[in-house]
Amino acid sequence: MPIEKDPDASQPRARPQRVSDATQTPQLSATVSRRHFVIGAGGIAASSLLGAASLLVNSDDEKAKIEWAEHFQTHYRLMTDVEKAEAIERLERRYSKQYGKDVVVSDSPAQEGVLFGYALNIQKCIGCRRCVKACVEENNQSRGKDQETEWIRVIKMEKGEFEPEKMHQGYPEDYGIQVGGNAYSAAGVVLEGEHHYQPDVVPEDDSLYMPVACMQCEKPPCVKVCPVRATYREPDGVVVIDYNWCIGCRMCISACPYWARPFNWGEPKLPKKAMNPNTHYLGNRPRMKGVVEKCTFCIQRTREGRYPACVEVCPVGARKFGNLLDPQSEIRQILDRKQVFRLKAEMNTYPKFFYFID
Amino acid sequence: MHHGMRLTKMAGTKRRILTLLACCMGLIWSSSAIAEDTAAPEPCFESRKGASESVPILLENGMPSIKCSPKTGGVLWWGDPFFNTEPLGSLPMFEGQVSGEGVMRSRTEKLTLFTVCGVACHNGFYPPVPKSKNPRALTMHLDIVPDALNLQHGNQAIWCLDCHSAKQRRFLEDNFGNPIGFNEPQKLCGKCHGSVYRDWRDGIHGKRIGEWASDGKKRWFVCTECHNPHDVQQGTRHSGFAQIEPEWAPKLSKGVDNFDYELKNADGTWKEKYLPKEDE
Repeated sequence: MPIEKDPDASQPRARPQRVSDATQTPQLSATVSRRHFVIGAGGIAASSLLGAASLLVNSDDEKAKIEWAEHFQTHYRLMTDVEKAEAIERLERRYSKQYGKDVVVSDSPAQEGVLFGYALNIQKCIGCRRCVKACVEENNQSRGKDQETEWIRVIKMEKGEFEPEKMHQGYPEDYGIQVGGNAYSAAGVVLEGEHHYQPDVVPEDDSLYMPVACMQCEKPPCVKVCPVRATYREPDGVVVIDYNWCIGCRMCISACPYWARPFNWGEPKLPKKAMNPNTHYLGNRPRMKGVVEKCTFCIQRTREGRYPACVEVCPVGARKFGNLLDPQSEIRQILDRKQVFRLKAEMNTYPKFFYFID
Repeated sequence: MHHGMRLTKMAGTKRRILTLLACCMGLIWSSSAIAEDTAAPEPCFESRKGASESVPILLENGMPSIKCSPKTGGVLWWGDPFFNTEPLGSLPMFEGQVSGEGVMRSRTEKLTLFTVCGVACHNGFYPPVPKSKNPRALTMHLDIVPDALNLQHGNQAIWCLDCHSAKQRRFLEDNFGNPIGFNEPQKLCGKCHGSVYRDWRDGIHGKRIGEWASDGKKRWFVCTECHNPHDVQQGTRHSGFAQIEPEWAPKLSKGVDNFDYELKNADGTWKEKYLPKEDE
């Protein structure tokens, strides 16, 4: 159905009547101009709001106080050091109470001369999904049957094959485009491979596995589209989200070519016992309903010098991490000596996540 | 419930027990709580199942030493990457190459016979020191090498005494007959696998946990923590890493009952591989 054009669209719209306007009565003295009245009414409204605010700020209800303050908190990058300290103190108080343990919310900044890079040996990956689960342990994602959030997806792909009986078949007609494997036998049938594989043991002999998470792009499409700039690139190259500033529009989710951003459709379920109390403001602090989240290279760990959780857990040592600006680092050794590719390089996103083979 | 979860609640349980006693709520409940939590947690494996097991304990910082997967019993998370480690020893580096402090987890403590092998049996008299390296069927250690004449390493080109010292059973042996400790298997494996050894030394091959900086402190995983030297071929798989059970699959989206859509062609027919078998 065609959308009917508003007949008045070309005309300037009538200004909606303000509440203060409605109170204006003809009995008012002629000496009080409308302009002065509006200013006065606005002042009263503002002062009553301030009054409510001061009531709330001074209220005994801790939760209401914190929520009120968080509501008026500005963007993380625009906060002064004092505001940051206040915001973090508020969060620590709230989380500590909520989860029954001493929660630390770090605001440690990027280290000088550090640009984080990641490499994954696609030849070694066995598809065991331990990185996925370690990430959930570390980064306080929602878990349980109603809402399970995972930052890493491991995709099972079929290995291509050459078979004599298929040699006459030519290009795969059904798929239109080549989706993997070889010209005679397309690998995978849906383009995205399998996420829900559950064999008794991995790796299966006829499969290969491709873990995908946030690529921490140098030119991140998600950052370009965010209408409120809640997501941005930090100086050490990590793309982060100010969860308090995120409006939940999910533009970044559709912009990301790597499916790296999950959304909290409901209130996240984070068990108290399993909650990791070492958090970062821009990383693994507990999220709220209606915000986007994603991999941050474990910012709470890497800014303190420790490897990301997925790097440590990988039982085959396929995951490597380090400083791209340090020629001695593991990541630079790999870039120098191994055969490397970036996922969807043609998108010009310049990922700092590299896949390599021996 | 798996031990990993049980551990994390230990600290809380202590507090809970004290509170219970103080409140005079009765001793029965608290004693049952103690019984539940002091049951020895099961060990979980780090990388190689059966050879890299450790038991989670509560560290001084209040964190568990490891968290384990409730499904597979694999370690998912380290509270302290350097817990229960010892210095790695020196490594030959390139000129100008930096290396931070390296530590490793002792391998000899995983070898149950290590403390007695040189005294109880291989004491120089019984059994006698082999005169030659010629392969023969073993009568002992069949749990480690089920079929010595078909050793799953080296494609029939090597045998026990190419790695193990014939005279000193508590040691391995390098190309010149010098002993190599079981805690430094990289020196042994590097005899043949030179390029892998070089990659491992530079952090490209293998696993390290700890600090990411090139001069940071790391716990290095040595060869035998991931590879079984007596079965690196894995039969026809020709893979150095044994197959393991995967963690659970991601949850299905709301409103989706199954993941058949992943197993079907674009036209709705089953992929050849997943065709329901006719004889069923």
